Amino acid sequence: MKTILAAVTLLAAFATTIHAATLEEKVVEHSMKNGMKLLLVERHTSPTVAAWIRFKVGSVDERSDERGIAHMLEHMLFKGTTTLGTTDYAAEKPILDKIEAVAQKLMNEKARREKADPAKIAELEKQLAVLESDASKYVVKDEFFELYSKHGGTGYNAFTSRDGTTYLINLPANKLELWAAIESDRLQNAVLREFYTERSVVMEERRRSYDADPENKLWETFVASSFLAHPYGQPTIGWMSDIEYLTRSKAERFFRDYYAPNNAIVAIVGDIDTRKTIAMVERYFGAIKPGKEIPPVTTIEPAQSGERRIELIAEAEPALIMGFHKPAIGTPDDYVFDVITMILGTGRTSRFYKDLVIEKQITSDIGVFDAPGTRYPNLFIVSANPRAPHTIKEVEEAILAELDTLKTTPVAERDLLRILNKIEYEEARRMGTNGGLARNLTEYEATAGSWRYMTEHRGKIAKVTPADIMRVATTYFTPLNRTVGLITKKGGDK
Amino acid sequence: MRPFLVFICYLVISATPVYAGDQHQANPRTMTFAALNFQIPKAERVVLECGMPVYLLRDTELPIINMTAMVRVGSVYEPAAKTGLSDMVGRVMRSGGAGGVPPEQMDDELEFMASSVESSIGSDMGMVSMTTLGKNFSRTLDIFRNVLLLPDFSGNRVEIARRHIVEALRRQNDDPKDIAGREINRAIYAGHSLGEIATFESINSLTRQDLVDFHQRFFRLDNMILAVSGDFDRTSLLNALNTTFKSGKNRTSLILPKVPQPDQPLQGEVIYGKKDVNQTVIRMGHLGLTKDSPDIYAIRLLDYILGGSFTSRLMMEIRTNQGLAYSVGSHFDIGRRFTGTFIAETETKAESTAKAINLMKQIISGMTKEPVSDAELNAAREYLINSFMFGFTSPASIVTQRARLEYYGYPDGYLEQYRDNLAKVTKVDILSAARKYLHPDAFKLVVVGDATKFDQPLTTLGQVRELDLKLNPPKP
Repeated sequence: MKTILAAVTLLAAFATTIHAATLEEKVVEHSMKNGMKLLLVERHTSPTVAAWIRFKVGSVDERSDERGIAHMLEHMLFKGTTTLGTTDYAAEKPILDKIEAVAQKLMNEKARREKADPAKIAELEKQLAVLESDASKYVVKDEFFELYSKHGGTGYNAFTSRDGTTYLINLPANKLELWAAIESDRLQNAVLREFYTERSVVMEERRRSYDADPENKLWETFVASSFLAHPYGQPTIGWMSDIEYLTRSKAERFFRDYYAPNNAIVAIVGDIDTRKTIAMVERYFGAIKPGKEIPPVTTIEPAQSGERRIELIAEAEPALIMGFHKPAIGTPDDYVFDVITMILGTGRTSRFYKDLVIEKQITSDIGVFDAPGTRYPNLFIVSANPRAPHTIKEVEEAILAELDTLKTTPVAERDLLRILNKIEYEEARRMGTNGGLARNLTEYEATAGSWRYMTEHRGKIAKVTPADIMRVATTYFTPLNRTVGLITKKGGDK
Repeated sequence: MRPFLVFICYLVISATPVYAGDQHQANPRTMTFAALNFQIPKAERVVLECGMPVYLLRDTELPIINMTAMVRVGSVYEPAAKTGLSDMVGRVMRSGGAGGVPPEQMDDELEFMASSVESSIGSDMGMVSMTTLGKNFSRTLDIFRNVLLLPDFSGNRVEIARRHIVEALRRQNDDPKDIAGREINRAIYAGHSLGEIATFESINSLTRQDLVDFHQRFFRLDNMILAVSGDFDRTSLLNALNTTFKSGKNRTSLILPKVPQPDQPLQGEVIYGKKDVNQTVIRMGHLGLTKDSPDIYAIRLLDYILGGSFTSRLMMEIRTNQGLAYSVGSHFDIGRRFTGTFIAETETKAESTAKAINLMKQIISGMTKEPVSDAELNAAREYLINSFMFGFTSPASIVTQRARLEYYGYPDGYLEQYRDNLAKVTKVDILSAARKYLHPDAFKLVVVGDATKFDQPLTTLGQVRELDLKLNPPKP
């Protein structure tokens, strides 16, 4: 790695410094006794720091009676602790317990569907509203946010995926201890107050992101249709009726079971003193007891035995998604897929762009990517919108023709070299922001097992041969292994 | 000459001294921190021999050089019947080949080097940007110059760009959020070029010559500012820039057409778009202010308090307390050249549409009735002042920001005095700014969704104008 970089610098007329600091040299790794993993990088470009915590638990780890709970819990973990977000937890707690009892009765009644008693539902709803109003008297609204904000924190957020859940913040560098104080409290003493109002917020999030957005609705339907058995098929946000029956008790169980230091990866990147930062994190998180390991998902998606096609009728122009099952991150064939993705879909020299966009002009937009997660076997996806008057069929045929070419014609060496050059550039670029680096460190540590996946990636890609590409294309790009999803315009094209 | 180095002086002292075995944990409500002495990073301003200003900031952390040219051009200069012209020029400058290098060759050369050159034109600024590993700087700079000054606009690529824009027009009503965003802007800027949108007719009327002429008129060395950051040697860089951007004889003196300020009278309107969805998209607003107003600091604080944060009044009531929405907020987009907008937005289930609209209007009106609380003012002030440093986290953002301030003619010392100006704002200032700039009765209100499921008819909110969402694309 170092040798390559030095050689590059010698050739560079404009670069004036030896860039000794590769990622490998910059990252400091520290494993705490309770299993929490720290990844630290000093960057002194600005007096700021990014702090990310990733829990190795996502929607793929949910049971079927609690779909959406990983994401719901992520929302709830902004609501405070036994000391923050409340004026008097001792007084608040009994009311929260009553809310839970009434809410569960209400859900049980509603679950009777057409046999449910409307009067009973109305009465329980009334009780719930009164109790929620009582409880709200003790709430200090969004106190985590208030505390971070007044100290200049930005980008305070969290996101949940199939594979994991991540909480992030950017702070002025002198205030990192605030993060340690809040986050260690949240990990030990979270209180999921205001649960049932927040559940309505999540329903609105679902309507906004999926129900009312045709392309995303197609996406959700397509992914669900691609997996009959493996939980990767289920939407992270949950189906609407799943969300309607989520409870605080379910969220608390999920939190207790999975949010333990041994399931957490922390990345702190920015203007820090590494040694002092480790000591500070130890001081706040060191005494937290480890929990149980998250069991791996044991379900294996059965091999597809025929093409699956799904259609969505929508008030929207036609759209196409095509997917093929493929192996998880870090497997030998996954690196070959990385090369294929770049050859077909990255940039203006990619085959899809040159053939479908410039030459045939049958689409104005085509994308190639992996989804819906990476920890477990996933999908190689091509998504394209036909350009009128061209049809889905024409686009589909053109995509398949390019995939077939990969099976029969070896990729030119120059194409492979271009990919390696691109990766070299990206390796440099991604070290340029605190948040970007923290994101990558936590993501790859969690999904590939080590952040070193990033430093080893170019070497693995360099070993991929034209023969590997032909073999992988032949193995995976088959009709049997294919799912196709499309939008058909409601009422046809009038 | 010694390479110019930015100096960022700061001092970090660990808030709590670390002793072996110290288990002290501070209370987040009361903890205090050592001072952090943040100095605003500066970029060097140099004028090239051709007269072009360049902002420079050397930073050797990454072996990368970034460069951006900001050009005084924009859709505001388009003739009325040619809406979409500047967008197309911005696209085809890059995609259509330049300096005699055909598009395919340029794409191949750039991507083999892992360099990138991109161009675009917005409403009041054009940008050409490049990024490259230092070792490929010279060749990437040549291509950058060609794209900026010598685009070929090859006929085939003009047609492809036209077809892409036409396809995007066909799809403009697919997502209800896109419809609402577009229509609120059109309604607020009705009658002004900022409110114009491209149509099948305007796009199909554009000729290659239109593109060539528009480019020639604006993309000239005396009409742009450069910003360069990254791992360069100052002397070599300036030599390269002086060689690359040699002043030719300017054919004519530069004349930028006068564009009037939008000055629509404030007048309310309800605009409805019918979509078969379970959630309604709501946008409301009117004209705002420009950066030249002395009220911008009061407005920034007002913005944070009303709808610009997770604990803003709109967020707190509509999302946190009532669970009516996932996303809700409001924003004064402070105009840099032209009067900007105030827009409040949310999406809520069809059955709570009127409830959410009325709540939003009521919360916004509240800003004009009573002064904000001390706690609100302090929270907003502390956030805006303490997070100021996040505007300066990368060399590229620092130089482009400096170049942008010059481009839009911000006063000297704008950044340096920014925090002091925020600190001076009082509750009375915010109240008078609210009274001056917020007029809920005169909101343009855009509602996209299924009115048959609304909790109240839209007519209870005013006279309703229904949008025609049927598109009539010409047969290809």
